[in-house]
Amino acid sequence: MKNKMVILLPLIGLCLLFVLPARAEEVRISIAASLKDAVNEITAAFVKSNPGFSIVPNFGSSGSLAKQIVQGAPADLFISANPDWIEYLVKEGKISQDTVRIFTHNILVFVGPKTTEISSLADLARLQRIAIGSPKSVPAGQYAEQAMQAAGIYVELAASNKLVMAKDVREALLYADRREVEGAFVYRTDALLAQNSTILYSVPAGMHDRVSYLLGLTREGEQKKAARDFDAFLAGPEALRILEKYGFDIGGDTTGNK
Amino acid sequence: MLSLSSHDMQAVWLSLKVAAAATLLTAPVGFGVAYFLAFVRVPGKSLLEGLVNLPLVLPPVVVGYLLLLFFGQSGCMGPLLKAFDLRVVFTMAGAVIASAVVGFPLLVRAIRIGMENIDLHYIQASRTLGAGRLDTLLTIILPLSFRAVLAGMTLMFARSLGEFGATIILAGNIPGVTQTIPLAIYDYTNTPGGDSMALTLCLVSIFFSFAVLLASDAASRSFRARSAR
Repeated sequence: MKNKMVILLPLIGLCLLFVLPARAEEVRISIAASLKDAVNEITAAFVKSNPGFSIVPNFGSSGSLAKQIVQGAPADLFISANPDWIEYLVKEGKISQDTVRIFTHNILVFVGPKTTEISSLADLARLQRIAIGSPKSVPAGQYAEQAMQAAGIYVELAASNKLVMAKDVREALLYADRREVEGAFVYRTDALLAQNSTILYSVPAGMHDRVSYLLGLTREGEQKKAARDFDAFLAGPEALRILEKYGFDIGGDTTGNK
Repeated sequence: MLSLSSHDMQAVWLSLKVAAAATLLTAPVGFGVAYFLAFVRVPGKSLLEGLVNLPLVLPPVVVGYLLLLFFGQSGCMGPLLKAFDLRVVFTMAGAVIASAVVGFPLLVRAIRIGMENIDLHYIQASRTLGAGRLDTLLTIILPLSFRAVLAGMTLMFARSLGEFGATIILAGNIPGVTQTIPLAIYDYTNTPGGDSMALTLCLVSIFFSFAVLLASDAASRSFRARSAR
């Protein structure tokens, strides 16, 4: 027994050494993939004017992020590209309804190499391969599906196996950039960052629900002053300026009118 | 809870097709490479051995990415494939290639062990009695290593059923074309509320793996019984 303790105690001590105390100024945020570059810049600006704070970002598709939070992943603040996932988390009791607000908006576009010619959504039926975020978990994919349903081409495209499901909107953009598909449905903000692709077609506003990013604080985040401070910063003029710089649709009200 | 949508049935059927194709197409190649590694003496053989074992130690995502660089539009084979109007990326062929590459080391390893266990005296006797190399290969080495070949193919098939990393990079996630069971489960685990469907597919996957193992076991035992007569 003594021999075991001699080995066990130092091991336990070693484990305890590696436990990082949760600092009160550390804010963990889960953010929809399409907001990555803008939020990184906003975070840098926040940390610069609030030294001693640290923001730990986690980017992914809104659906998978919501799933993570429900499974217990630590997060103080969640920004989703689809209101459904915020409602889901409110229903599961993970997010408090009074902290939920609209963060910003975006516009769905179809990007691809210049060789692809599209003048309307119906033209997409001619293409061989189109990348969209998987509608099961990626809001951009859900909006794309809505638009294609409205144009009457979704069922045909899905049945002929022409849709490549990406795990988030950035992966869809990557497929288009690499020319493995003839085009992809991404947000205008992602299209502006594309290396090899151009915006071929801007999806008219009426064809899908307005792309709204909803923000909410989790139960843990509500308790943290640092998280509330960051939330306030995200609503401030500096953050709005950065969002506009990246091409987000910051104007307009919630009814979808600009 | 335990119901499969038509999409899921597609994924199951596709998984079986891809695994079967990968196994059957690479079995001869694996047999040849195993024979080479077991019996042929050339300098630098360990280099080939390392190359064959590489997919076993590399993370599957890395294997998938390297295959993408090789077969992609802007890759090495890109222009050649385009000239023949062939596509690998985002097609079932890509899924088969990904499974084949990842499972190949397992196949070769199993067959090679079987071959190395063959009593050399049988081969020497066959050669002294006048059989050529090919004759010896087909009538002595193949039957004696058959159980190892079967074991290798079983391993490869089971590995293909579970292949995810290389498949999703090279073949993408296209329902009906490349969305195999692991990719479908991944999709469901990312979907809030998709747990019951993910679990259903997991059960299907376990069932098939069991079935393959049992079938292979039965075949192996029956072959041993026959050859003992």
